[in-house]
Amino acid sequence: MEQFLNENMYTIDLGDVNTAPEIIFELSSILDKEEARNKRICLKLGSVDLNQAQLLSIKSLINGIDSTLSCVDTKSIDTEKVALSLGIIVSKISAENVSEVAPAMPYKMADELKEEVQQKEDETDSIVEETDIPQIQNNENIVDVDFRELAKQAEQIVAEIEEKVSEFSDENSIEQDATTDIVEEAPIQEEQIVEAENNEVEEANPTKVNDVQDELDVIFGSTPSAAAFYDMEQPTEIYEEREEIGELVVPEDEYTKEDIELEGFPTKYIKQTIRSGQVINYEGNIVIIGDCHPGCEITAFGDITVWGVLSGIAHAGASGNQKAKVRALKMNAIQLRIANCYSRRPDSLNTVYIEKTNSFTPEEARIVNGEIVVFKMND
Amino acid sequence: MAGRVIVITSGKGGVGKTTTSANIGTALAKNGHSVVLIDTDIGLRNLDLLLGLENRIVYTLVDVVEERCKLKQALVKDKKNPNLCLLAAAQTRDKSSVSAEQLKKITDKLKKDYDFVLVDCPAGIEQGFQTAIAGASEAIVVTTPEMSAVRDADRIIGLLEAAEGVESYKLLINRVRPSMIKSNDMMSVEDVENILSCQKIGVIPEDTGIITSTNRGEPIVNNEKSLAGKAYLNVARRINGEEVPFLDIDEPKDIVGKLKKFFSSLGKQGKE
Repeated sequence: MEQFLNENMYTIDLGDVNTAPEIIFELSSILDKEEARNKRICLKLGSVDLNQAQLLSIKSLINGIDSTLSCVDTKSIDTEKVALSLGIIVSKISAENVSEVAPAMPYKMADELKEEVQQKEDETDSIVEETDIPQIQNNENIVDVDFRELAKQAEQIVAEIEEKVSEFSDENSIEQDATTDIVEEAPIQEEQIVEAENNEVEEANPTKVNDVQDELDVIFGSTPSAAAFYDMEQPTEIYEEREEIGELVVPEDEYTKEDIELEGFPTKYIKQTIRSGQVINYEGNIVIIGDCHPGCEITAFGDITVWGVLSGIAHAGASGNQKAKVRALKMNAIQLRIANCYSRRPDSLNTVYIEKTNSFTPEEARIVNGEIVVFKMND
Repeated sequence: MAGRVIVITSGKGGVGKTTTSANIGTALAKNGHSVVLIDTDIGLRNLDLLLGLENRIVYTLVDVVEERCKLKQALVKDKKNPNLCLLAAAQTRDKSSVSAEQLKKITDKLKKDYDFVLVDCPAGIEQGFQTAIAGASEAIVVTTPEMSAVRDADRIIGLLEAAEGVESYKLLINRVRPSMIKSNDMMSVEDVENILSCQKIGVIPEDTGIITSTNRGEPIVNNEKSLAGKAYLNVARRINGEEVPFLDIDEPKDIVGKLKKFFSSLGKQGKE
């Protein structure tokens, strides 16, 4: 969870400075302070247009005090373009300091995800006709930003990259090294955002992206495949079958070290109702036959399976296993945490009473592209 | 200027400490003050529920005390009002997790940055109470017009007077039912004031809307039509030093009564 806390963030607000030399002057006085050292700096700029050389000099100024420039908030489209081409994340920074806990995103239901993908496709289709660029709304979670805007950004990135590719062929570039550095040092949370954006890129412009896929990989790191959202098939069965034959060769992308780890965990079996204030910690999988009431906390290194209504806080894969899952007959958890991701219950789902019913559709929560998504298991 | 630390206490449980904390906090924040609410009812937390912030809590008061996180990280911002923050209590621990000195340190730190620090006190007079009042310089004693609640409030006032640091205390009379007072079935506000010989800061009428607002996680001061909400808004203004006349909570329900009241108020104006 530490990665989400933005502990080393340092925000510099230069929203009212209007020229590039002034920015550099202001910055150099701010960066003299001890508290700006060894931080990831978020730069808040106004509507000033910066070119690549100016932004690079700002970056080197920040690098000079052992800090890194990790994100930029700007009103200028030109600056945004330049920042994106240098691999700096462009985002809206709230006026408050970022050292507070990043607000948890509500977990998504699989239907929503489906709708979102659909919406995204619809909107990217119509993008060519539209000339107006809608502004990014200052939303609580960055993933919710307008898809049209993202697609537009993506096009810009692609254009920039293409330019760069031609540049690279002519001369050796130092900028490229600089960009890879940033990505490596960027916090996990931001990488996830980048990854999310990256998927948008793929959706928006599949043909172009393939041409410059290698370049993208250099800038953003490897891209996860957005396919197989709804594939509920468990690789466990494959594993068991092969074991009988005596072969343990499993394709790597289907069966990873994490899966083996999950399977190797011992399992705790609890047959009671978990009430408010009760805590269950176990270095393995947990199976609960009964309801988990609000206010309880269940933490497991492996999976959590609740045969009942889950309304408390559940943390699966607490040792860092991203493949851990939380299953329940009825998912109403106040917070879901898997490995180092955490999400809160959507406010729309804030039901005080759960209807007593005999027909439940089991639900399963797992990480999809760095977000926790709840799937209905009715297939 | 340093902020004010106000503890909201009662002795007896169920008289509306938490409701009062949530509503006064929201009302103060609505008036433009920066407010932080601290829930010290460790193990039986409810304040987060009333504010509808239950699903946003990651770190709690106990985490701050045990230095698992920074104070700023544990503050949960309100959904609607950016001026309002909550420092939630841990649900899975008990009152002994936080000592009086530790809470005093936290309130001292918070009052530098916030105009108001409201401490929601647990019921009882044991360690939890002693912890909650440690950092406070002012107190609001919540009571209802019932003998048992008034007795407990009296005991609490005695303890507050004996405690170091608490300089002033005010009385808030909750769940008043004018119709019952009229028929002599309930102690009047004046009776309660006389028994406790303590100045009142607010009178809150009984309101069924409180139950709905609690279930929805939305303080009743956000509902402008509610009488209890208005009363809480007035309390917030009085805390801020404004002179606000006490609300006429005796509002007849039927139209005839309303008309009577309307005409009588016209008559009064005429005399003046």
